Amino acid sequence: MSIEAQISHMKTLWPRFRVHHVERGFQAAQWVGVAQPQFTQYTLQIRYRVGAAPQVRILAPALVRLPENPEGQLPHVFPPASDPTLCLYDPDLDQWNWTMAIADTIVPWAFDWIACYEFWLITGRWYGGGRHAGDPLPAVKA
Amino acid sequence: MTIQRTFDGIDPFEDPVDRLFAETALALQLPPTLHDEVGERYGAVRRKLEQTTAFAGLLEYFYPQGSMAIDATISTRGTDDEYDLDIVAQLGGRFRDMPPLAILLELEGSLKDYPVQAVTRQTRCVTLHYADKMHLDITPALRATGSVERESYITHAKGPEVGINDCFIDMNAYGFVGWYRQRTPIERRLAKSFNDHWRGLDGSSIVADAAEVDEVPDQTHFAVKNTATLALQIIKRARNIRYANYDGRMPPSVMLSFYAGLAALPNMRLSDMVIRIARWIIRDIAEASLNGRKLHVPNPMCEDDIFTDRWPESIGQQNEFAIHLKEIVEGIEEICSGKMSANAIAEWMRERFGSRIFTKAADRMGRQIGAAVQSSSQNYSRKGKLLIPAATRTLSATAASLANPGAAARAHSFYGGII
Repeated sequence: MSIEAQISHMKTLWPRFRVHHVERGFQAAQWVGVAQPQFTQYTLQIRYRVGAAPQVRILAPALVRLPENPEGQLPHVFPPASDPTLCLYDPDLDQWNWTMAIADTIVPWAFDWIACYEFWLITGRWYGGGRHAGDPLPAVKA
Repeated sequence: MTIQRTFDGIDPFEDPVDRLFAETALALQLPPTLHDEVGERYGAVRRKLEQTTAFAGLLEYFYPQGSMAIDATISTRGTDDEYDLDIVAQLGGRFRDMPPLAILLELEGSLKDYPVQAVTRQTRCVTLHYADKMHLDITPALRATGSVERESYITHAKGPEVGINDCFIDMNAYGFVGWYRQRTPIERRLAKSFNDHWRGLDGSSIVADAAEVDEVPDQTHFAVKNTATLALQIIKRARNIRYANYDGRMPPSVMLSFYAGLAALPNMRLSDMVIRIARWIIRDIAEASLNGRKLHVPNPMCEDDIFTDRWPESIGQQNEFAIHLKEIVEGIEEICSGKMSANAIAEWMRERFGSRIFTKAADRMGRQIGAAVQSSSQNYSRKGKLLIPAATRTLSATAASLANPGAAARAHSFYGGII
């Protein structure tokens, strides 16, 4: 899917996300938008270059960390800890590739992460499932 | 027979913030299994009394009053799983000529061998203490002649000796229930959703009770069916927590019920309704305090039945309650603004509604949202608001119209390293 098609689809589905820094030569773009899936309003940034993995950051408010939590100080993110990006899909399960629309996948998945993150903050438990790098893949049900 | 109007109402489980409050209220309800017991116990007590020499043929009516009659029962002050239920035993015959203490003693005596953990006589009733922490208060009453339906005099006597303050107190709990029900009509969507969630607590089925008495509302009608009643439960719980360590009386439930009935408006959001009821009380307290008097709230169906006869004892006491209510209003407004973090919301909720209850509610919500995310059954509005249809219902037309048609959830699973 071209960067133009991604931009167009994002504009249609998520009008509160504005596109910035479009680099057509590199087929890259960046979106910033606000959303409140549950309790708190967040500003999200999505950086994407066709062929690479989209990077999703929460720009505001600052993410709250739980240092002693079994999930780590922040659940399901990529390092570095000082600038974490959300881990929204399992690369070993082919859940995302460049033919898919960010608007249909990455954006609602980021909202899913926020919903689960908020309950993780409230209860200390991650209810969203998934696995960490190095963990075995889930068994396929017959 | 009163025919209630019905409205659709707003399902509080569809809105993330309202759901926090609704789930908290759900965690405070009489569980479905215990509710089964209410009807049986209610009928059994009456049958027991009718078999005694003292009460045979003299029980004119036996009917629920208080929170039990308006579907607003929550766990008792200082507890998360104890319930006080109230019954009025309207007596006739020779009881009409007896003094208050004698009636209470007679009732206590007739129930002294009743198979419960304890039977205690209070100032206005006799309480049966069941092993599962349910308390059934039976209040003897004498029908006031020539008055509106079931206006009665209830006994007031501290005992054990006759005292100068022994008296009969005018009341019309029955009339108040009718007033309340008329002002809080069924909101179908809320009633169904709440009932579904309530049934889901333990998955039990309910067997209707066949007692020959005014029936304890059956399960369908027992669960909360109006936003104002749900808001009332939330305010009552906040009061219970705030006054858990007070020795004295706290703002009475019946007074709070009166304000819930007064403030009730169909099709309001739950959080807005809590604010509306709280503000109504704050306003009345402010006005009373400004005029140097205590809050005076009579039963709208019986002007001599004063809901505030034992609280407040002073203007300072009512002002203190108004401050607590203002804190609730300000907190809910801040939560609704979207500027409060989830952990700050949790801290606020735990402080207001009790840690164990809120943790239970939050865990239940977390599990449901996690399951929706993992099964891709969730959806988002154009503004990114989470919409989760429960297994037993579909989203309301309002919520569905907000949904982003292109944002149907696609399966994914979280990944990442531990940082």
